[in-house]
Amino acid sequence: MLAEGVNGLFGHSALIIGLAASVFGAGALATATLLKDQRLVRAVQGYVWVALIGAVLAVVVMERALITRDWSIAYVQKVGSPDTPPLFNFTALWSALEGSILLWLLLLAMYTSIVARRYKARMADPLVAWALVTMLVVTAFFFFLALGPTDAFQAGGVPDFAKCCKGPNPLLQNHILVLFHPPILYLGYVGFTVPFAFAIGALVTGRVGEGWLVETRRWALFAWGFLTVGIVLGSWWSYEVLGWGGVWAWDPVENASFLPWLTGTAYIHSVMVQERRGMLRVWNLSLLVATFSLTILGTFLTRSGVVNSVHAFSDSTIGPYLLGAFGVIVAVSLGLIAWRGDRLRSPGAIDSPISREGAFLANNVLFTLFAFVVLLGTVFPLIVEAKDNRQIAVGSPFFDTMAAPIGIVLLFLMAVAPVLPWRKASTELLRTRLFWPAWCGAGALVLAVLLGATGLQPLLAFTFAGFAGGSAMRQLVLATRRQGYRGLLGRTNGGMVVHLGVILIAVGLTASNSYTRAGEFTMNKGDTVQFAGHSFQLNDVVDFTAPNRVGIKALVAIDGGQAYAPAISKYTAQGMDVGTPSVKTGLRYDIYLTLENGSKPSTGLAKVKIFIKPLIVWIWVGGLLCGFGTLLAAFPGKHRRRPTDPVSAPVPLEETVDV
Amino acid sequence: MSSAANLKRWPGWVLLFLVVACFLAYGTAKDAGPLTPEQRVEEITKHIACPVCDGETVYESANPASAAIRAEVKAQVAAGLRSDDEIVAYVVQQFGEQTQLLPKASGFDALVWMLPAAALVCAGVGLFFAFRRWKRNADAIPDDDDRAMVEKALAAEVNLDGS
Repeated sequence: MLAEGVNGLFGHSALIIGLAASVFGAGALATATLLKDQRLVRAVQGYVWVALIGAVLAVVVMERALITRDWSIAYVQKVGSPDTPPLFNFTALWSALEGSILLWLLLLAMYTSIVARRYKARMADPLVAWALVTMLVVTAFFFFLALGPTDAFQAGGVPDFAKCCKGPNPLLQNHILVLFHPPILYLGYVGFTVPFAFAIGALVTGRVGEGWLVETRRWALFAWGFLTVGIVLGSWWSYEVLGWGGVWAWDPVENASFLPWLTGTAYIHSVMVQERRGMLRVWNLSLLVATFSLTILGTFLTRSGVVNSVHAFSDSTIGPYLLGAFGVIVAVSLGLIAWRGDRLRSPGAIDSPISREGAFLANNVLFTLFAFVVLLGTVFPLIVEAKDNRQIAVGSPFFDTMAAPIGIVLLFLMAVAPVLPWRKASTELLRTRLFWPAWCGAGALVLAVLLGATGLQPLLAFTFAGFAGGSAMRQLVLATRRQGYRGLLGRTNGGMVVHLGVILIAVGLTASNSYTRAGEFTMNKGDTVQFAGHSFQLNDVVDFTAPNRVGIKALVAIDGGQAYAPAISKYTAQGMDVGTPSVKTGLRYDIYLTLENGSKPSTGLAKVKIFIKPLIVWIWVGGLLCGFGTLLAAFPGKHRRRPTDPVSAPVPLEETVDV
Repeated sequence: MSSAANLKRWPGWVLLFLVVACFLAYGTAKDAGPLTPEQRVEEITKHIACPVCDGETVYESANPASAAIRAEVKAQVAAGLRSDDEIVAYVVQQFGEQTQLLPKASGFDALVWMLPAAALVCAGVGLFFAFRRWKRNADAIPDDDDRAMVEKALAAEVNLDGS
């Protein structure tokens, strides 16, 4: 039993070293900056590396404990089992709260050390120094969480195998996406710490001009890209695993990831107004603060057990700490903004609402409103419960009702904004530039109606999606015609690729929400049913056993072709029934099969539910395009502004060549 | 090129609006037809929360409690005496308030509907005043003090960059 306690000891030591390094690092750097002590500033690099080593060690030790099944650790007893398949045993690290905090910590420490390394030469600049101090303080907070309230290395006592050690939640051990979705999502969440830290640095030093924006723009972009891809992967997981046939349920955990996405999206648009025109400084700072604090608030909402959710794979006593952190972040940031208020007053003016900056303003109003609606809907049951002590639910019908008009207006903005010039647009110019994009919209509408689409809201969505797609394509065509493949690079053009991705997602969501058809059929072995122009033959209903589960599956041949096998598994350890859908993916629609309770192999009877879900695959393609577009946007475009260029210099009215 | 430019004047746009209006009207009108009982059941169960699971709708949920509600809704639809909203209200009355997914538009719960509307109005009014102020300020001509400030700031930026 040599292993007993060793992992726990190493893990705790790593965390303590990391905590000490980040606390001392933050303290030393703050002191050094205040005293202008360059020697001490240089020493901070060491602290950052030690903190990173601490985080890496903690994760490695936990993985080792999981892989070697070290039952002396309570967390291993909680999420490990003797027979979890290796892949899901590896991902078990982030299948509950304690390990998730370790993963968060690892990524945060990585971001911190990348910042420290990248700005090593400029650490004497107080702005950079305060940004790093902020990052180290946040790192220290997460080390503290990992050591105290969510101690992953807590000793577990003698395992009672009758009760413990059942492995991760069955939902977290039947799809490969469990390996990718959480880390990528976390890369997004945690990534927004960097622009937030620079915002704090700018406020503390009072240099709220535009310099720091150039530094953080790309960081924000990367974080946004990861968050977007992470959210799309999450929807994919939900679609492939949960078996209710949908991709988005407005569940609190989903909302928690969507909130920072909304404010982050608002930020990466409005930051361009500040860069170009030097305006909206307070607003941009507030958006960064909102994005970062919403990640903490979202974690609080979903991890403290205050709201219930199918995705919340944990609850704990972490709540007060996260809520406290949220309060501190908001209070400190607002205090700093108030303190620096005089320097934040923007010098310029927005001349006309019909201009690029006017469109960005409208975009920001809508995204902020959207975020407000989502936040309100998510916490409203809590408010009602606290006030009247009664339980109410605010569910997907509410969010759908609210999101549809906002989404449609956003699509419209997406169509018009890319062709608008800065400062002021003339009717003439709009009429010329929007002509072909508008016909793309009309074409999309005609096509949709001819294919049988009905309903005002979906049709408006398709029209504006086509319109927006036309605008994005117009920009890309003009740019590539001028510059060749380089016309795809840079923020403007890469941004248009992202727009195309978002449009695909919007179209896929609209179509699948509006036109899904479902039918439930009770079939005997050999029966064939017709549904939505396809034939479904039940070839067989069979029992199956796997190392960690037993179950039944139906073999359903679609149109006499390949057999699809929706299943229901009982995870023996947890005694939990999990349905696994089987999906035939197509460009026009998916055929989504689930096996319902009541199916019996002994009698050859199966209850099969068939969903016809249009255009689902385009959501995933859109997500991919968003990620790809973010990469393109991160490459410097042709016209690179020097950071020292005055931002309110006259801007040429014509940015692009007209057709 | 000139014919293309002419096209983009009013004829092209009028044609565009005509096409869009016609197809929108056609597509919307086609939607107004009667729903099949299955579609009604689907629509209604999407508005009811499963009483015992975490935030799933009755439509999605495989829980026995949800199956019971689904059966009830099916029976109500088959009876054809109540409208969709009345069936939801009936289910909520039978199975408890936590099955209501769409918050009520009355009493305290109405706030969840009103606050976003209020926020939108505030944003609109705020933007209106902001634009009015900007319009007034736009005419301001920079004086020597402003220019000096810009020079100083630029010099500082350059120094910083060089260091």
